[in-house]
Amino acid sequence: MPEPPPIQQLSADEIAEIEHEAAAYPTRQPLGLEALRIVQQYRGWVSDGALQALAHYLKVPVAELDSLATYYQLIFRQPVGREVMLLCNSASCWVMGCSRVQKHIRQQLNIGPGETTADGIFTLLETPCLGDCDKAPVMMVGTEMHRQLDSEKIDALIRALRERHHSED
Amino acid sequence: MATITIDHRPYEVDDGQNLLSACLSLKINLPYFCWHPAMGSVGACRQCAVVHFKSAEDTRGRLVMACMTPVNHGDLYSINAPEAQVFRAGIIENLMTNHPHDCPVCEEGGECHLQDMTLMTAHTQRRFEGLKRTHKNQYLGPFINHEMNRCITCYRCVRFYQDYAGGTDLHAFGRNHQIYFGRQENGQLKNGFSGNLTEVCPTGVFTDKTFSRRFVRKWDLQTAPSVCEHCGVGCNTAPGARDDGKGDPRKLRRVVNLYHRDINGYFLCDRGRFGYEYTNSPQRLYQPLSATSEPLICTTANGEEKIQQPLAPGDAIACFADLVDEALHNKRRLIGVGSPRTSLENNFALQTLVGRENFYAGVSAREMALLKLSDQILQDPQLYSPTTPEIEQADAVVILGEDISNSAPRIALAVRQAARQVQRQRADALHIPQWQDASVRELESGSTPIFIASVEQTDLDDIATDVLHTAPQAIVEFTKQLTAQLHVASTPEDKPGTLEKVAAALRAAKNPLIVCGTGLLSQPLLAAAAQLAQTVACQHSSKRCALYLAFPDTNSVGLVQVSSATRNLDSLSQLLDNSDIPTTLIALETDFYRQMHTSAADKLLADVQLIHLDLLHNATARRADLVFPAAATPESEGTLINSAGLAQRHYCVYEGSGYIQESWRWLANVAAACAARAGGVEKIPQLGEIARWEHVTQLSDALAHAYPPLAPLAELGPEWNALLDGERVARQPHRYSGRTALYAETAVAEQPPPRDSDAPMNFSMEGIPFAGRDPLQTHNWAPGWNSNQAVHKFLTQVTGEIQGGSSGLYLQREPETFETFETFETFDHTASPGEAQAESDTFVPVPLQRLFGSGELSNAAEAIASVLREPVAQFHIDDAQRLQLNSGDYVRFRGFAGKFQVTVGDAAAPGCIGFITGYTSPLPTGTLPAGDIERVTSNTPGGSG
Repeated sequence: MPEPPPIQQLSADEIAEIEHEAAAYPTRQPLGLEALRIVQQYRGWVSDGALQALAHYLKVPVAELDSLATYYQLIFRQPVGREVMLLCNSASCWVMGCSRVQKHIRQQLNIGPGETTADGIFTLLETPCLGDCDKAPVMMVGTEMHRQLDSEKIDALIRALRERHHSED
Repeated sequence: MATITIDHRPYEVDDGQNLLSACLSLKINLPYFCWHPAMGSVGACRQCAVVHFKSAEDTRGRLVMACMTPVNHGDLYSINAPEAQVFRAGIIENLMTNHPHDCPVCEEGGECHLQDMTLMTAHTQRRFEGLKRTHKNQYLGPFINHEMNRCITCYRCVRFYQDYAGGTDLHAFGRNHQIYFGRQENGQLKNGFSGNLTEVCPTGVFTDKTFSRRFVRKWDLQTAPSVCEHCGVGCNTAPGARDDGKGDPRKLRRVVNLYHRDINGYFLCDRGRFGYEYTNSPQRLYQPLSATSEPLICTTANGEEKIQQPLAPGDAIACFADLVDEALHNKRRLIGVGSPRTSLENNFALQTLVGRENFYAGVSAREMALLKLSDQILQDPQLYSPTTPEIEQADAVVILGEDISNSAPRIALAVRQAARQVQRQRADALHIPQWQDASVRELESGSTPIFIASVEQTDLDDIATDVLHTAPQAIVEFTKQLTAQLHVASTPEDKPGTLEKVAAALRAAKNPLIVCGTGLLSQPLLAAAAQLAQTVACQHSSKRCALYLAFPDTNSVGLVQVSSATRNLDSLSQLLDNSDIPTTLIALETDFYRQMHTSAADKLLADVQLIHLDLLHNATARRADLVFPAAATPESEGTLINSAGLAQRHYCVYEGSGYIQESWRWLANVAAACAARAGGVEKIPQLGEIARWEHVTQLSDALAHAYPPLAPLAELGPEWNALLDGERVARQPHRYSGRTALYAETAVAEQPPPRDSDAPMNFSMEGIPFAGRDPLQTHNWAPGWNSNQAVHKFLTQVTGEIQGGSSGLYLQREPETFETFETFETFDHTASPGEAQAESDTFVPVPLQRLFGSGELSNAAEAIASVLREPVAQFHIDDAQRLQLNSGDYVRFRGFAGKFQVTVGDAAAPGCIGFITGYTSPLPTGTLPAGDIERVTSNTPGGSG
């Protein structure tokens, strides 16, 4: 018996973008990761429903897609805040005090790694090396790098991001 | 051959293998996890590290992974070098940092590869004091437990489930320290080989849930070699049994794989592994029953069913003997009905008691004709039934109509390996060893041409290069056209159609394979498949072609050998219709209500006295005047012949509870009672030797003399009194506990164990304890190897034959070239779906097979019964629209019992209605007029309810 269609559907924009990517590959088999990234771009994260919709669209087993999604740290299978702070914890940043930075963030936002602030703005995640070791400790937020972090820089960053989101609301 | 040196000792090993399998073939202990004999090497776990020296002068050497190292002549290795030992212990210590210390409550304990390897590397002290990572477990259905905390991330489960068995719903999730093996969400594992995870997993992540319910340790299980009774493939099994000492009759605890290179290798299907629970079913018969005319309070009998009450075995035998006496004095006629799901010996005993002319096969005329035809086809010397390794090597496969994933699952698993044959040939061309699993799988190559013609989607469609979903008649036509196409000299260059492509593939193949079977109940299909195989054989350099014909039951081939084509249930019905001689019908393990339509069975049984010997209190037993509890396959010794024509013996694993004994013993008891009354066996020569039979091997020998094709039975297996080094074989391991305490609750005297009068085996720990010394021994157990991985200790080499040779002997069929099937045209096959043309207002019923649902006995197994769906009728979408049926509606068919849930599948051909066989009665015969389809309920909102 054919499986019932999923309840959630991909949007026309998502499909268009996935098909645009598909053109770059000789087969559809490696499309999964790009498709996950695209879905996440539109929805912030990849819910079970979105995953099923995508698996149905790509005609791959949902377990295979989830295996891929859970392997990559930057594909989110749980809701995240609007700003995801990726704090490096590899060797250089560790030597230069990333744990101090993490502690300061906890003091300011009351979140640890993997947690999201109550207002839904910030999520803190640990990440391996971001390739900017000479400016450690570093953190990536959105597409921007923040280097040689200290308490003042973090406070300023949090304030700026918060204001931006409050003004947007 | 290559000579290699391991720890200063020279060894001769086969070229082309890796060092790990060479060591294991030499019976040298070397720990490993991710390697599996059937799945090759990936070098993931780093457990099999050894030191490799460049030359005799090299004293330092370097660490290599044995599983990834090809053996070359002159290589120098050390397993015992301190660096290697320290490295291996370090790997285990690392794995163990996260492994829970829950062995006492873990069901793998005592047969755990991880335990064995931990001890083998001498990591006996825990130094890690940190927290262990933990996981949530999933519900994986009624067959498999999940305990992810025990995982050591060897990836064997997904390598088996995805790569080997083609499953898509078990995956590895996450990464690094948090890898999780499971499903995307809770739910039953969908692949029909999921049970193998319990054996493939080197520790206790996946364990057998049916065994959990009444768990005991491996060392407390009594085992003997057995043969799976749930289809015609004949996989070897090692059932494990234990009496709980408190009177629970449910002794059989589990079934695990028993290695047979030519059939099942290392793997079983889920019907075979979990179907055993029928022996413990509440429907199981434990004592003789007799019908009574007295009304009983609380009786559950209704309709034509008899009110029955228990009867002492001696009285039951006496009642039966009275009837035989009457028959001996020509006052009564005895008619025996034999069974394809029990041993040759049981059938032969019944045949001897009633006489050949009164012995009827317990299958319909239609099925009998199919069986005889298949048997006749396999007589053709150009055609041969391939072994599993031969199937795996096939480089062109054509599957015609038979849904082997559901009717002969282990064969489907072998065909799945054949899908990679082209890839393996490419690896050979590039000098990549076959055991380099990841490298070979990554190779870009075409796929093996596999063509599947079927009446619905099959589980093998994903590996097929071409698929044809159509009506049975069209499959027959296609097969004929394919045969004709093979005679056409060349293939058109541009745009060959499916027919041309398949013909070209068959012509080019070194190892072509045709698969067919009786599943579609179509004689024309079988004949067309045979003619195709003959044509392929003619064009092949060897003048032979592999043709696998799947037979429906575990001993279908055996029953055919001892039955006349004209004595079947339909001819029996005719016979009884046209005579009024008082008749006693002796039904041997046959449920008439499964083989015939209810009305036909009612009619057949209406005016006869019925004696029924069976395992379960089924519909036939409920109508019987006298019921005898028969021993199930694991409770008895006997010979079964599989679809490939291999005669194999199954041995008694445990004594059946209550008054259960082998059907032939009941019959021999009856004959002995008659003889005693007559004043000696010689006074009743009509009964032949039956009253003298005491050992099942006497029946095997008699069969060998009575039927020329069965001559090998005289050589098969040890005689009941054979000894090896003066000893019998122990069914229990040395550590079997409770021998003197098990029954102490009721009696303190130690009871002697039951005696086995059929095989040289003991129901105790006395005797030969280990496999390898004797084919009767099934304990996969060797010093240091408590898990099933110990099997390599008993093989000539890894994936080779078992020491002493694979068990079983092939039938000696008279070679005769198969020409036509005119012989069987007299049988009623007008209704066979291979021929019936679908008219616009009639439908052709098409039989569908299901792993869970089409097995008679396995449907009574608790876990399997819990996942059975209700009977369905599968419609093509066009027909469903025309008849205004939706998925989920219920329909009835006039003249046919029961209601069916409608499913609208797009694969069924128009004009066909698919029915899953095995739920209740056989298929509706003939074509079904649309007017006979009656909607019972509708699932559409607002529809007629």
